[in-house]
Amino acid sequence: MSTDAKQALQIANRRRWRRTVVRHSILIGWGLIIMFPIFWMIQTSFKDAHEWVTWPPHWVPQDPTLKNYEQIFTFDVQQSGVAREATEQPFNIWGAVADSLIICTTSALIALFMGAFLAYGISRFNVGGGKFRHSVLIIRMIPPIVIAIPLLMYYAIMVPLASETVLGFRLSLFDTQFGMSLLYITITLPFVIWMMLSFIDEVPYTLEHAARIMGAGRLYTLRRVVLPLVASGMVVTFLFVFILNWAEFLLSLTLTHPDVSTLPVLLNKFQSASEGRLYGPQAAIGTVITIPVVVLGVLIQKHLIKGFSFGTIRK
Amino acid sequence: MAQIGLKEVVKKFGDFVAVNGVSLDVHDGEFLILVGPSGCGKTTTLNMISGLESPTSGEIIIGNRVVNDIEPGERGLGMVFQDLALFPHMTVFENIAFGLRVKKTLEPDIDRQVRAAAEAMHILPLLGKRPAQCSGGESQRVALARTIVNDPSVFLMDEPLSSLDAKLRVDMRTELKALHERLNATFVYVTHDQAEAMTMADRIVVMNGGLVEQIGGPLDIYDKPASRFVAGFFGTPTMNFLQGEIVAANGALTFQCEHIEHFLAENTPDSLAGKQVILGVRSEHVVVNSGGQQGQVKLIEPLGDVSLVFFESGGQEQLVAKVAPELRFSSGDQLTFGFQAAKCHLFDFDSGTRLN
Repeated sequence: MSTDAKQALQIANRRRWRRTVVRHSILIGWGLIIMFPIFWMIQTSFKDAHEWVTWPPHWVPQDPTLKNYEQIFTFDVQQSGVAREATEQPFNIWGAVADSLIICTTSALIALFMGAFLAYGISRFNVGGGKFRHSVLIIRMIPPIVIAIPLLMYYAIMVPLASETVLGFRLSLFDTQFGMSLLYITITLPFVIWMMLSFIDEVPYTLEHAARIMGAGRLYTLRRVVLPLVASGMVVTFLFVFILNWAEFLLSLTLTHPDVSTLPVLLNKFQSASEGRLYGPQAAIGTVITIPVVVLGVLIQKHLIKGFSFGTIRK
Repeated sequence: MAQIGLKEVVKKFGDFVAVNGVSLDVHDGEFLILVGPSGCGKTTTLNMISGLESPTSGEIIIGNRVVNDIEPGERGLGMVFQDLALFPHMTVFENIAFGLRVKKTLEPDIDRQVRAAAEAMHILPLLGKRPAQCSGGESQRVALARTIVNDPSVFLMDEPLSSLDAKLRVDMRTELKALHERLNATFVYVTHDQAEAMTMADRIVVMNGGLVEQIGGPLDIYDKPASRFVAGFFGTPTMNFLQGEIVAANGALTFQCEHIEHFLAENTPDSLAGKQVILGVRSEHVVVNSGGQQGQVKLIEPLGDVSLVFFESGGQEQLVAKVAPELRFSSGDQLTFGFQAAKCHLFDFDSGTRLN
């Protein structure tokens, strides 16, 4: 090899190496920015009160403690030792976990079931006309804060009033798991339809035609051909909707109390007039809330990768 | 009983007329090929037979019953699609078994029938694989096995060979024809490839613009095309077309255009005299090194068994002759040529219909 060629190769190598370093530095930097709040939340959950807000900040707990966890998992707020900094409001983390799990899971499942069939109808039969697929998302353009109070009115007054007039007894959607599930189904359904549309559109028509020619009915074809092909998409959609519900705060805050409480609302209860925000217990709840989502994500990782990369069905 | 009848079938998509009044009969056990350029309505016609599309008007009859309102699955048909439509999430076995499972066939019967179909198509070793793991030719066989296993009396095929490479396509043609012989079923096959139509069909239906241009045996269509369109569609290279007038002189009819004068066959009707026509002649019916016309060679395409000589004769159109490979020409050479009178086709200048 001539010296020129060697030099050119060296320069090219150096350039490639430099580009790699720059690219990775940017990614690592970005990753740190993204991950920092999570790191801060987790490490705060292991700090005692005097370390929550210090200047200069303590990057890691100097005095690690499980007190925050003890506090949030304790039913009896009066119990000595842990009761001191506890909220003045009654709380029950296991109740909130149950409420959150029941509300989020059922509403995501029902929305997914309905949305998959609706999307199939829109994709294959052009239900609602050509622009319908775009207009389903319009509901998402209304900020939740705008509808929160009217909904409260509806849930707490209109429905009980109507049921008392018509049925003779008072039926309330306010502060019930049923009411919250109904609301979550309604507000996430457009997302489900939108996401499922993109998956179902990917399934070639001819597969269904082939099945029909072989004598399969619509539902059989849907069950044996279409749904298995969009299974990954359904898993992704379920997770997406589940997380939306899991983290929803405003509507839950407005429409529940005191019987039903979801985890984000419970988290917010950890403050008191005398102590201000209880960052430690809040961070502990935040950490606990994040775990199911991460576990779910890891469990269905295979589907996630498949579902997030569209065009997975070989035509 | 598997004859199929179409009576004045029309299919409109909004304002667009895809099929504009097609009538045809498919005989029991026949290999009928619908051929035509893209958008001519051949696939739509096939889809109406299958029941995947319903006709806007007209009747479709399979056996002795009108099937317009009968579900595709109840028409006793099998169909192979252009993209084969194998279910990607099922194994080859499950793909083939699909139709049997729909019919709730017993498990041991399914196993036996699937294996028999797979054996017939030589794909036994593939049964455990997924369609994505099969090659183009293998997928083709899987699609055929999946159709055969349901034992339909009519096979519909929508350009099933279009995804294969040239060599495999030719092999599969032979195989399909053998399959037709063996099954003794009615085949209705759609293609845009005239060679495919010529080689496999008992009868060919040539379609253009939603209408049937001609129905006939492969050689009938080749030798006596009913219109200029059919003449141009069949045969490679494309038939030579010359635009001119028929002139009566000395008791004989001649075709005259700018630079060429050609005596027409004796059986040409006298009534054509004075008409503006298009003369069509296939490259193999152009005689070179004899005849009274002068031309200049532009391009040679040696194919081995024959050579194609493209030449000009003063006019706008380039003509092509199929000549024996021993005749060596090179670009720029002068040649004399003529047309075999009996093999010339005359088409009406305006409508394109056949005149002689």
